[in-house]
Amino acid sequence: MRSPLRLERRLSQPRSLRWLVPLISIGAALVLGSILMLLTGKNPITVFQRIVESGFGSKTALRGSLIAATPLAFTGMCAAITFRVGIINIGGEGQFFVGAIGASLVGLALGGQPTAFTIFAMIVMGMLFGGAYAALVGVLKARFHTNEIITSLMLNYLAGILLNYLIFNSTSYWRDPRSIGFPAGKPLEARAWWPKFELFGVQIPLGFLIAIVLGSLVLFLYRRTRFGFEVGVIADSPQAARYAGMNTRWKIIAVVTLSGAIAGIGGASDVGDFRHILDAKGLQLAGYGYTGIVVAALARFSPLAAVGVAVVIGGLTNAGYALQGPDFQSGLVGTLQGLLLFTAVAGEVLTRYRIRLRRTTTAS
Amino acid sequence: MISGRRRAWLAFAIVGALVLAACGGTDSATEVVEETTDTVAVTDTTPAAAAEPFTLANFTPMEGAEVVNCAPPAGEPIKAAWIYIGPINDGGWTQAHHEGLKAVQAALGDQVITTYKENIPEGPQAVQTIDQLVADGNTIIFANSYGYQDAFVEGAAKYPDVCFEHMTGYKISRNLSQSFGAGEDGKYLSGIAAGGDTKNGKIGVVAPFPIPEVIRGINAFALGARSVNPSATIQIVWTNTWFDPALERKAAESLIAAGVDTLAAFQDSPATGEAAKVAGLGWAGYGADQNANFPDIWLNATIYQWAVYEVPRVKAALEGRWIAGDYYGNLGDGFIKMSSIGKRVSADTVAKIAEASARLAAASGSMFTGPIKGQDGTEKIAAGVTASHGEQMGMFYLVEGIIGDLPKG
Repeated sequence: MRSPLRLERRLSQPRSLRWLVPLISIGAALVLGSILMLLTGKNPITVFQRIVESGFGSKTALRGSLIAATPLAFTGMCAAITFRVGIINIGGEGQFFVGAIGASLVGLALGGQPTAFTIFAMIVMGMLFGGAYAALVGVLKARFHTNEIITSLMLNYLAGILLNYLIFNSTSYWRDPRSIGFPAGKPLEARAWWPKFELFGVQIPLGFLIAIVLGSLVLFLYRRTRFGFEVGVIADSPQAARYAGMNTRWKIIAVVTLSGAIAGIGGASDVGDFRHILDAKGLQLAGYGYTGIVVAALARFSPLAAVGVAVVIGGLTNAGYALQGPDFQSGLVGTLQGLLLFTAVAGEVLTRYRIRLRRTTTAS
Repeated sequence: MISGRRRAWLAFAIVGALVLAACGGTDSATEVVEETTDTVAVTDTTPAAAAEPFTLANFTPMEGAEVVNCAPPAGEPIKAAWIYIGPINDGGWTQAHHEGLKAVQAALGDQVITTYKENIPEGPQAVQTIDQLVADGNTIIFANSYGYQDAFVEGAAKYPDVCFEHMTGYKISRNLSQSFGAGEDGKYLSGIAAGGDTKNGKIGVVAPFPIPEVIRGINAFALGARSVNPSATIQIVWTNTWFDPALERKAAESLIAAGVDTLAAFQDSPATGEAAKVAGLGWAGYGADQNANFPDIWLNATIYQWAVYEVPRVKAALEGRWIAGDYYGNLGDGFIKMSSIGKRVSADTVAKIAEASARLAAASGSMFTGPIKGQDGTEKIAAGVTASHGEQMGMFYLVEGIIGDLPKG
């Protein structure tokens, strides 16, 4: 028996849906969340109040949310840039790792140089390493038609193994020779730490500002340049693009490299802004690259919107840690966060598809 | 088009990675963190003079330790918090720490309000969590993973009136202590159980990370096994994980395929036990008593009793007598405990475990008494000499009888 419901692609998206669907999504999330809270004996109103308060309600809360948001802004952009042109680069995770490796290499080597110079070099190295690592995916796809989902995923594991090798299984330049108890990255000299800026009393990491600038630049690239136009055509119809004389191969490589370069700068920010070491274990547990795909999806693959969505997800993450404790198990926090994200993504589907009732009379 | 410049950068990076290999090490087990000059330590010295200084077996106060007053106002309960790397019911490492929290609550009753945060990622989130816990009024904070160490160094400098208790690290400062214990004592006893259990003399160990703590434990395990079964071999597989049940189970299965007939694992998950159960092989666990879940294959395991350390520490903080230092517990003070012993372990082996347990309780770490040879047959510890605590803390070689490699330095 077939389902009586089916999804049908909308030919045009009514304007009202743009604000109606997110509102309904939030409403559905609140209702579902409330049911979960009531079932577990919590007062939903105080819980949602605490989420808003501990995610966005104070200067320290906002600072924490921006810390959680910064890496996601980069990996979100990384996914958005490729996904919007139909290339499924899920390698943001590995490109982020490799960027961190490159940035910490130069950060450690130049630790004694003026801060501005060191920071600039770290950003450039993160960009080059992340970009080069992603370029592998691009070249394989453009030249040999290799499925980029598989290659970028495999390269994530490879980057993780490389991190393990550098910190756990060798006495590499990145490893702190003094870490006798447990192998750890060599700490960056304090003068090479990236500065934080203050806006209305809220501390903002340098990496977050870079993410906003990059998001704007990429949006400009896609909306206002010939390159952006051509990439758009290739995404819609590769054959038409080739017929029009566009070099599709190089465009594919360029887009994937660009997305990897941005993830790589995220890795540089991870080292410079926050950890100040190459943290092999912490990076792999964090899963920034995979969360970035969710961020990109919620941002409808707009690079600049990804930065905004990253702040929301960062706030939600941060609030989750503040919320949990003896009276609020971490599993429950995760379920609540999952519900909120699920309804948001489900709502997104409704803006592009509509639900139709199948006529049941066709049954023979 | 790949420009020459990009190729040059890549070449630079690769050459850089190869050339800049450095190595080195230090002998000291702990390192005092230099006080940052821009932080003014605000200490209330009045209770220091009145209260007697804190003492505890196996606790070494840091040089020039001063009392840190993290006591609550008179008559009010102290707020104590724990930051956990895993979930409180992980059946191992974090669960053992959570037992410590419960013991503190039970021992101090309404004089203490405990709280905890579980599954906190290492890195920037740990700093944020410390900020939250301090803002909530917690004045003594514990953390159970090495990766929190730098966040704790930062937090200790930022909050001079909060007592910081980090576990398994090596950095101490005015208000930052370190604690851990001689897991190797317990692993020696597990080695005896495995040595008594094996029929073909081949024992497999699913090993977490090639780091001194683990290497020391594997060596102790091998010495224990070969003390009752001199020809036994111990084959190891590194997983580079503390908690990854799927991978650890695969590693265990690879050892079984290689012909071992007894297993041990030093991660926080019982995955090796699952694999051993299918094959019907004896299994020595770590950090949790799994006798009830694996009755047919259970040998024994090392259990950490964090309450032995945490109860007196929170009490000291409550009374305004807390000082920073380094704690290394063992079988003697009860910090290290042997789990229940499985029914498949023979009476003869049980007696040998009891005998060795009594010996180690009196002299922790004494299994590292020479003559002890390395894997290659060269002498590592001379006859009659016991490796010093510092040497044991930095141990980076495998003893004779172990099949497996360490990363090359």
